[in-house]
Amino acid sequence: MAGQALVYRHNRVTRFTHWINAITLTILLMSGLMIFNAHPHLYWGNISEPAKAFLSVGAQTNDRSSRGYVEIFGKQINTTGFLGVQQTSGGPTERAFPSWLTVPGYFSLAGARRWHFFFAWLFTLNGLLYVAYNFAVGHLRKFFLTPNDVGKIPAMVAYYLKLRKSSPQEGEYNPLQKMAYTSVFVILTPLILLSGMAMSPQLDVAFNWLPAIFGGRQSARSIHFVLAFGFLFFTFGHLFMVVTQGLFNNMRAMITGWYKEKIAIRRVTPAATAKQA
Amino acid sequence: MSLFDGNISRRHLLLGSLQGAGLLWLTGCEKLFNSLSGNETFRAVLESAEKGNRRVQRLLAGRNKLAQEFTEKDISSSFRSNGNPPPITMEYASEANRQFANWRLEVSGLVTRPASFSLDDLKTMPSRTQITRHDCVEGWSAIGKWKGVRLEEIVRNVKPTADAEYVIFRCMDTDSDGANYYESIDLVDALHPQTILAYELNDQPLPVANGAPLRLRVENQLGYKHAKYIRALEFVSSFEKIADGKGGYWEDQGYEWYAGI
Repeated sequence: MAGQALVYRHNRVTRFTHWINAITLTILLMSGLMIFNAHPHLYWGNISEPAKAFLSVGAQTNDRSSRGYVEIFGKQINTTGFLGVQQTSGGPTERAFPSWLTVPGYFSLAGARRWHFFFAWLFTLNGLLYVAYNFAVGHLRKFFLTPNDVGKIPAMVAYYLKLRKSSPQEGEYNPLQKMAYTSVFVILTPLILLSGMAMSPQLDVAFNWLPAIFGGRQSARSIHFVLAFGFLFFTFGHLFMVVTQGLFNNMRAMITGWYKEKIAIRRVTPAATAKQA
Repeated sequence: MSLFDGNISRRHLLLGSLQGAGLLWLTGCEKLFNSLSGNETFRAVLESAEKGNRRVQRLLAGRNKLAQEFTEKDISSSFRSNGNPPPITMEYASEANRQFANWRLEVSGLVTRPASFSLDDLKTMPSRTQITRHDCVEGWSAIGKWKGVRLEEIVRNVKPTADAEYVIFRCMDTDSDGANYYESIDLVDALHPQTILAYELNDQPLPVANGAPLRLRVENQLGYKHAKYIRALEFVSSFEKIADGKGGYWEDQGYEWYAGI
């Protein structure tokens, strides 16, 4: 039986930290891209041997034209207008990531570092507040992936692909959601924080093993960059689901806390109760 | 009903207006970020993180823990030089030709025994050799083998007074406007076991490109703290009255004084 009921889904701390997190991740990504622009090459190991970059964003300029490119494992891809060379009112300008993707928009390594480190603290403290509170109230375990959930992932994929009629979901979150959130919590977030910290010379003094666990300081820098796109990828998936699964309902839930549930999941109907008795 | 229902033209209209709105949004954001970046109050808020970084990181690192030291085989094929070009004065050029025989390191300021050292004086003092990783604020890293005199030796020699808090490094290189490079570290970093005034790189006299005759190595901080072409040290209680008052050439241009991150 399909019913509709408003349920209080997201507590106050979750809603508050969610929006702080949304702003924080945006700033961290954009200021991070500006920091990358100061040396748009990635390497593996402890050091940066110029000839050994596995990824470079650059520009080839002659008198007539400017061509932007991304070179990855020796393969060059023309990215003029987006990466390497950006069209501005003053003509083509050499820039790894374009101004509309960076904070600040103009080239300022010092400025971008200020933004990045402030928001890195905010990201960490905000995340700690979220985890501490939701752990205390028992909310966290609702979407932590369990071995039982892992077995249901294929069924959930089949359901989304319309190869299966009923969802294997139990509780508020389905196995795929749990997998996505859990990997952000236990893989993405700790690794992006640690790889960021591994770039700090003073923290490397405090913890000599820190850059080593990533394979060296330059590897840590590369991993940090790749993981940032992991967050972006997650966010795109997240936004896609929010929009397709009921934009209004989802937005209301994350602003007011109240979510309209369309179907009663595993709710025992009066008829079934009668039969059992 | 899903977002993607409807006929082709409706879809185009929708996508077109989304694109337009997106562009507007992005230009708006860029303007906002830029004006916030230039706002003094907002900048002060962002800068508040620097204090936190310094306190927390120093607490974690302590005063005597060492930066990782590497082996000969880890050394970079060429040690990149960055920043200003070498000093262009005739005096510097002729000194470089004479292996800096007449160059002297002047040490002054809040010290009980001001002193001056020749390069040979420094070389006869106890030395430290270390193979360490150099991290530039831009993002690159290089490993080199440095030999030099521990800054603590100099400190012990000149005996700073009780109110001395920072060491200023006066350098011979200038930028295109003629402004001299300078840097500062506090006595906590000055007394770190790996903080040395290096006169050798990879078993050779320090090359001109890397700061001959003498440069600072302060291994727990980024490259811009490692002053090159040093001519004098000055012990001070505050750097507020020096140049633009931020404690260094790059600091005066907006970079953090604490460069451990």
